[in-house]
Amino acid sequence: MYSYRFAGLLVLVASLFPVTQIRAQEMDHSMHMHHNHAMPMGDSLVWRMAPMDGMTMPMMPGMMDDIPDVGAFLPGFGMDVSMYPEARPSEIIDMADGDTLHMDASLVRRTINGKEYVMMAYGGMYPGPLIRADRGSKVVVEFTNNIDMPTTVHWHGLRLDNAYDGIPGLTQDPVETGESFTYELKFPDTGMYWYHPHMREDVQQDLGLYGNMLVDPTEEGYYAPVNREVPLILDDILVDANGLFPYGEEAPTHALMGRFGNIMLVNGITDYNLDIQAGDVVRFYLTNVANTRTFNVTFDGARIKVIADDVSKLEREQFVSSVIIAPAERYIVDVYFDEARTYTITNSIQAIDHFRGIFVPETHDLGTITATGATSEDHADAFAEARTNEDTIADIDTFRRYFDKAPDHNLRLTIETKDLHPMTMRMMEVDTLYFPPIEWNEGMPMMNWLSTGEEARWVLLDEDTGKKSMDINWQWEIGDVVKIRIFNDPSSFHPMNHPFHVHGQRFVVTHIDGVENRNMGWKDTTIIPVGSTVDILVDVSNPGRWMAHCHIAEHLHAGMMLGFEVHERGAGPQVGR
Amino acid sequence: MPILRYFGSLLMLAVAVLASPTLDADSSPSEATPACTTLSSPDYYEIELVTTRKVPGARLAKGKGEVTYVASPFGISVSESGSFHINIDVSMSNVRLDDDKVLVAWITTPQLDQIRALGILDENLRVSGQTDFNKFLLVITLEPAEKEPGAMWTGPVVSRGMSRSGLMHTMAGHGPFESEPCAVYGY
Repeated sequence: MYSYRFAGLLVLVASLFPVTQIRAQEMDHSMHMHHNHAMPMGDSLVWRMAPMDGMTMPMMPGMMDDIPDVGAFLPGFGMDVSMYPEARPSEIIDMADGDTLHMDASLVRRTINGKEYVMMAYGGMYPGPLIRADRGSKVVVEFTNNIDMPTTVHWHGLRLDNAYDGIPGLTQDPVETGESFTYELKFPDTGMYWYHPHMREDVQQDLGLYGNMLVDPTEEGYYAPVNREVPLILDDILVDANGLFPYGEEAPTHALMGRFGNIMLVNGITDYNLDIQAGDVVRFYLTNVANTRTFNVTFDGARIKVIADDVSKLEREQFVSSVIIAPAERYIVDVYFDEARTYTITNSIQAIDHFRGIFVPETHDLGTITATGATSEDHADAFAEARTNEDTIADIDTFRRYFDKAPDHNLRLTIETKDLHPMTMRMMEVDTLYFPPIEWNEGMPMMNWLSTGEEARWVLLDEDTGKKSMDINWQWEIGDVVKIRIFNDPSSFHPMNHPFHVHGQRFVVTHIDGVENRNMGWKDTTIIPVGSTVDILVDVSNPGRWMAHCHIAEHLHAGMMLGFEVHERGAGPQVGR
Repeated sequence: MPILRYFGSLLMLAVAVLASPTLDADSSPSEATPACTTLSSPDYYEIELVTTRKVPGARLAKGKGEVTYVASPFGISVSESGSFHINIDVSMSNVRLDDDKVLVAWITTPQLDQIRALGILDENLRVSGQTDFNKFLLVITLEPAEKEPGAMWTGPVVSRGMSRSGLMHTMAGHGPFESEPCAVYGY
């Protein structure tokens, strides 16, 4: 590989430095083929240049001819796609206290935009079955692994018993192909949650292993009345003319920015449509399962009211013009469709074209909502009221006296690199004048694709001890109230937003850049914008060995995770209270 | 004089250390540590205001625009079209004004095709406002005190600065081994 790079550099020097004025998307991909002699595994499994939809960035000689330092990999590759069962749309599984669900992960056939792919599914469905249960109930999931790689299931956001958190090497051994594992789930908090693998999420989750868990309230009138309740799982996937774009075998590719897809999916499909009646209020349960993309969701002018965060209702319902949702976050929103017309659900962003140095408005159509006729039950008045949720306020009140405490831990988010492509290093030095708080789009697809988890190590640095990532093992006790101050260092080699997820506990965001958050909800994942300092206050309530990490799949596998242990009261060092 | 600044910083650090409270060895952090200090806006996006040196009484003016996100349930705030929606807190110092003059802060696109008054700086030379421009200039002008700001400034520019995003410019001409600052050859 280094000989290729050296050759590339020589070509570069010989070319007297001007960039090649070839638009990336116009390049002859066959010029990459001579580099792929080490991977003669079929037309769709050779590395070819990463799709660069809409990019104007000219390619550098020496870079356009390079490939990642890992093998190309696609699960189920080489098999006849027709031998796999066709996945079916998700079903709702209502589960009563004590019920058991038998669910597997398997390879399935999926059709996206008219093309068939070998993908993965829980229970043969896309998304996986929606598990619906009452708050306070417990259920069992008998899980069997029928995919061709080891996996586990993580029940994201649940404050469940530690043994069932699904973390390989920490709470369980990997579930090998053909093996089973029994998960016992409990649902202490009302809201929408989700489940996904915690091994090679960049592959398995991206290929369809995800599903929701809807925990219903047991109280009357917990939410305002609506006409419909609809889960919306947002995702994207990366394909080109040859099929699914391969993944890195030994380590993920796209380690700098995460793997952005170029096809948007809502509930696993590209042509999502919901038929409603004009005047309906629809409650959407939004979940972002994309590897790295943060969405800015709009409903074509329909009014949006945010009801709830990841793990609880907000203190006060709030009208918004769009919903910003980072990977792994959930929001519950009520939307009022007052007219009989078709509404387009969009992802509306200001993309960045780094070569031209400009912002480019982009709108991705995610789906449609067709409103006809007239509603059978008018909830417009209830929608117009932004309710104050006294139960959430009372719950958070217990913790309010800790909001201004000094941080117990100070984390710096940064990155270390080793042996990155020389052109990537050089271009990054040139392109360091501006990093946006949120990367809405993949502004540098080639450089991103070439960087793997072998060369880029994302770091959670404990500034109090100097320990990094999984060398961190914080010790807390039940009842502690722990403030973590998280600083996303803009001076790092490649600063980027990180959705920070804490396992097994819940937290509130108390401050962003010193500004107090005046409308909180309990969360398990929160976005840390570039340059920002975010204070979170953790309600330490669940014993065991847990982890916290960035939920960009490629960043997680490039090391951006830490450990912490929660002991019974009196069994460990006291931190809060 | 970097050396003076260095010793100044050392002196301030020493004062801060001497003034900080001591902790009992067995006390819990939540009881014993001082309350969290007020954080500032992200330095990375802060706008430094540079004086034009052309306005009497403001030739040595200093100033900055601090950037934070408009409150939102999502942590950050963006418009429906995806532009970041931010608060800008402007502060100036080293300015002496005649009684019949005020300083007014303006937000404008780099092309000056959209200009909005952020507001009149108060007696402490501060003003706050919001914008969702992607790239913008923050301009401070000297205006007559008796008039409300109009659609465009009328007085001289006292100070100005550019949003961090304004630094992003075309990479055409950035050869891979060119090490000159872009300003040397233009961008």
